[in-house]
Amino acid sequence: MKIKDIQRILEAEVLYYQDEQQMEMEIRSIAASDLMSNILALVRVPDLLLTGLNNSQVINTASVFGIKAVALIKNDKCPHVDTKVLELAKEEEILLLLTHKCMYESCGLLYSNGLPCILG
Amino acid sequence: MQDIDLKRQLLLLEMRIDDVMRKEVITVSPQNRMSELLTIFKKHNISGAPVIDGEKLVGIISIEDLIRWLYEGSKNYYVGERMTKNPTCFYTSQPLVYIIKIFEESGFGRFPVLNKSNKLAGIVTKGIIIKGLLKRLAIENSEDEIPQYRASHFFEDINADYKEINLRYNVIGKDIENAGSASTQIKRNLKRLGIRSSIIQRLAIASYEAEMNAVLHADGGTMEYTITPDQIICIARDTGPGIEDIEKAMQPGFSTASDWIRELGFGAGMGLTNIEKCSDKMEIDSTPGKGTTLTIIIRTEDNNGIKRNS
Repeated sequence: MKIKDIQRILEAEVLYYQDEQQMEMEIRSIAASDLMSNILALVRVPDLLLTGLNNSQVINTASVFGIKAVALIKNDKCPHVDTKVLELAKEEEILLLLTHKCMYESCGLLYSNGLPCILG
Repeated sequence: MQDIDLKRQLLLLEMRIDDVMRKEVITVSPQNRMSELLTIFKKHNISGAPVIDGEKLVGIISIEDLIRWLYEGSKNYYVGERMTKNPTCFYTSQPLVYIIKIFEESGFGRFPVLNKSNKLAGIVTKGIIIKGLLKRLAIENSEDEIPQYRASHFFEDINADYKEINLRYNVIGKDIENAGSASTQIKRNLKRLGIRSSIIQRLAIASYEAEMNAVLHADGGTMEYTITPDQIICIARDTGPGIEDIEKAMQPGFSTASDWIRELGFGAGMGLTNIEKCSDKMEIDSTPGKGTTLTIIIRTEDNNGIKRNS
């Protein structure tokens, strides 16, 4: 599945993308977590990180681990995406989405659209 | 070399049949005469074809069937009479590893590939699979190769009895906004130096976890990196509270993190475990009340590069 399909499924805003080619990026595996160390403990690098966390550590985690796309879940506590997050995403060339669906629904939608859990 | 093997294995696990299959398929009908088959095969330069009746796949016919028919006196037969009926099929979403096993076991040369609604979507032969794999490998390698080229030159171009590069970053305690910048910067610098990407990833993860520890648990400190032709040493120094019980702290899931740390996405108790997993050698020197020095060593030469994956 392409990242643009995921954007459509999650009805997500695209906060940063490098170029059209990056929107064609193939997504085969997704990890969803608010705990960054749990992401870094995965044996394989997911193509997309889905998280409710909204601070610069999301992008730093993606960057050091080599994750090329991040989807942020809109958070009631801090509804505005941190400018530092946007800056870092641009710097690290990490595609950034923002969905208004909650974590549970986002995971459910992606799973039922044929993205299985393949990360241990 | 081993991490290349691992990469190849992961590649195989990741790839699906529809990543490599040929989508433009020449098909024949069961009503085609056997005598027409030779012309069709020759024209399209193929050695076999799925047999389609309407939209339904009913069989497969190959050059071996054609030879047998010629040998038996080339009588006026239809394809439908000489084809292999109900051939083994694959589905587009199946992993490539699965199909390779079947190729080995069955001895067949080609398999039709069906989509979810059981309609013909493509065809695979050994040649098609190899071509698909090579293409993918070429893409994966081209992402690595350019920095590798520069790397080998960097240390070779400089003459000295002992060569090392030292980089130091200051880490400010509780500065959440800028936390992690030492690790993302060292990652970029190692890339410029041409270190292999699997090594960079391990160093970056270990360094990032160590840096976050210094930011969150202590009041900052320094991150120091020493890069030599055969290893990278990362030393994280802080003047924080120190670790009371190192053995306990090493246990996966053990955490002393307060709520605010957890809200930032850390404090899962995986930090030291992750660092150890990524490094070839890790040492903790800690005095409660004084501070902690964490030394991480990752070898860049004769390194199997797969520790964190094993």
